[in-house]
Order: sequence, then structure tokens, then C-alpha cells
Amino acid sequence: MSLDDATRQQISDLVGQNRVMLFMKGDRTAPQCGFSARVIDILEGYGTDYETLDVLSNPAVREGIKVYSSWPTIPQLYVSGEFVGGCDIITEMHGTGELFGALGVEPPAEVVPEIHLTAEAAEALQQAASRTGDPDQHLHLAVGRNFQSTLSMAPQSPMDVVVEASGVTIMVDRMSAARADGIRISLVDTAQGRGFKVDNPNAPSMNELSVQELSRWIESGESFELVDVRTPSEFETARLERAQLLDESLYQRLQSLPRDTRLVFICHHGPRGVNAAEQFLGLGFTDVHNVTGGIDAWSVEIDPAVPQY
Amino acid sequence: MPIEIVGQGGAAETEEALRTAIREAIPDGEIEVRAAGPGHFEIRVVSGVFEGKNRVRQQQLVYAAITHLMAGANAPVHAVDRLECVVP
Repeated sequence: MSLDDATRQQISDLVGQNRVMLFMKGDRTAPQCGFSARVIDILEGYGTDYETLDVLSNPAVREGIKVYSSWPTIPQLYVSGEFVGGCDIITEMHGTGELFGALGVEPPAEVVPEIHLTAEAAEALQQAASRTGDPDQHLHLAVGRNFQSTLSMAPQSPMDVVVEASGVTIMVDRMSAARADGIRISLVDTAQGRGFKVDNPNAPSMNELSVQELSRWIESGESFELVDVRTPSEFETARLERAQLLDESLYQRLQSLPRDTRLVFICHHGPRGVNAAEQFLGLGFTDVHNVTGGIDAWSVEIDPAVPQY
Repeated sequence: MPIEIVGQGGAAETEEALRTAIREAIPDGEIEVRAAGPGHFEIRVVSGVFEGKNRVRQQQLVYAAITHLMAGANAPVHAVDRLECVVP
């Protein structure tokens, strides 16, 4: 079993040029195995930039990286050219807090978040927690970088902050703690049955943007991505000069941008833009706008040369 | 048409191949290999070479020795379920 020079060079370039480099199956938005997905989940929480390479679409690297790292499994994480470990090791380092040092990320100050539970939610959580019957399993609340909340049972880890809320003990990892402050958990009835509903005041929300403000941004050379979410034929009919049609390749490019990039969505009258904006908030973008009234408002109020349809 | 024989060999054979490969890389090692299911193995190595190395670097020494047994779709070793590296 050998590693050919070209592949060795390719791997060496990847780990040399990207401070944090993950070799995985699939990509960050669609991991193709549970171990890769787990490492992505963890990395996302640290807010550090990282690159990925999909070994499934690169068979030479898939085999080559095993020789290069002397490590038989995927995923594999490199930081500053050094092999850090695979899924088990990353998970363990995440639990002990060692991953901060390894990734060069400053650990956040220990915040004890305030968590509000309705009486019903407190009772239901208490019941769920006692059902396992295992004293080492504790109720955990995680709030991801995209403000998605997850409730789970897990052993206590050294990085956990312990919160008492309405008599319920909840553990929150330190990365989640600041994002969890002020959170409200209630019990609601939905079509799928009873479930927990989490309201998080820290979650960023979409901003409405008037066509006048958009016009000022364009004239003053503000930096933002103007994303048109209409169909290709509507885009042909009428468009803003600055706008880019949201197709697969633009979607991929936007996904790879820093999450504080300003995104402005535009559609015909507004609703499709709101949907797209919410989807990108869900991906972790924080500076997200929708053009109120869409391109129709632009034609009426700013530029009659853009045809109405 | 020639008959292609595709086989993973017996577990005992593979255990021996693992032991031999690890012994070549870590001659002073006390090596235990046990089959844990088809293609799955558990390995324990006791050696002074692990001294002063973290778990990843210790395991890399062993994996480097056995990579050839784990490469490709028909590899005799599909996975090492447990790898213990012990400093004597």
C-alpha cells in the first residue's frame, strides 16, 4: 500500500493551506455518515472557519489520507498541519474542553444562562429525565450556532454549566450557554402530538428592507449579496443589475461564506424572499434582510425601467 | 474464464498477519490480537515506545504498521473495534 506523490502533495497542500481542515464523507451541509456528521456538529459550535474535503468524491484521497495520517478511519481533523484525531477523539476533546486549545479558540466565559420553563414543560422534562433510571444521565440543552435547540440525555461533562429551572436540573455546555440565556421552553400540542417549544430571544431574526434603503446601499457601495429567489424566467423578464439568481451554484457559494455576511433577498412581492431569508437564518447567517414589496416595489418606487409583470 | 478467488482469509490467519505486522514495527511490543467478528479485531499492545506520546500518536504507531491490512474494499481488516496502547 503506497501513497503516490501527487496525492501526498494534494493532501499536504490541503492541510498546509487550511488552518482547520476536515477530511470527511459528504460536506458540511450534507454529511454522508454519522461520524462525519458528529464532527461537523461539534466544529460548527466553535465558530471557527474550516475547510472540508469529501473523500467520497475523491477516492485517491480517501485511501491516501489513511496512509498519510496513519489512521484507518474517516473523518480526520487537521489543525495547522497536525493530525488531531477522528470522531471519537474529537468528541472526547470536545467533552473535556481540550478542543478549544487544539482549535485555537478562546473558551467563552462561563455564563449561567437563565432558563424559563412553563409548569407543564418542567413536569414533562422532569419525567423524561427520571425515565432513564440511570443516575449518570442528565438532561442537556444545547443551542447550536444557528440557534437550533436540542434536548438530550447525556453524562455530565467538565464543560457543562449546571442550571436549576423550576426545580429541573439542566446542563448546558459552555458553547451553548450564552446562546441559551433567556430561553423559554413550553409544552405545545401540534399535529404530531405534544412537544417542547423553545423560544430563544437571542436568535437573530430577519430584517425587512425598504426599496429606498436598498437603493441607498447600492449607491453607497455597501458590501452585501443581493439574492434573487424568483424563477429563471421571471429573472429574465425583470431584474436588478446587482441581483444574482439563486441557483445551485450560488447556493453552494453562499453556504461557504462567513456567517456574518450581509444577505439581501428579493422576490416578486416579498413572501418567497421571507422564506429564503428564514432558511438562511437557519443555516446560521445573522445579517439577513428581505426587500419589502419585492422587485415590484422597486419598479414602482425606484426604477420604472425595470418592467412590471 | 479464470476463476477469481476473492477471500478475506480466516480470522486466525488475519490475527497472525496483524501480530506479525505490529511486531515488525514495534519489536519490543507485547501484542494481543483478538477477532471480534467478521473483519473486526481488538488489539492491545504494551511497549515502551508509547512513553510520552498522547493517545493519537500512540495509536498512529500501530495503525501505520497495519495500514496495508486495512486498505481497499476487500481488506481482511474492516475495522479495529478497540486499540489499547499501554506503557509498561
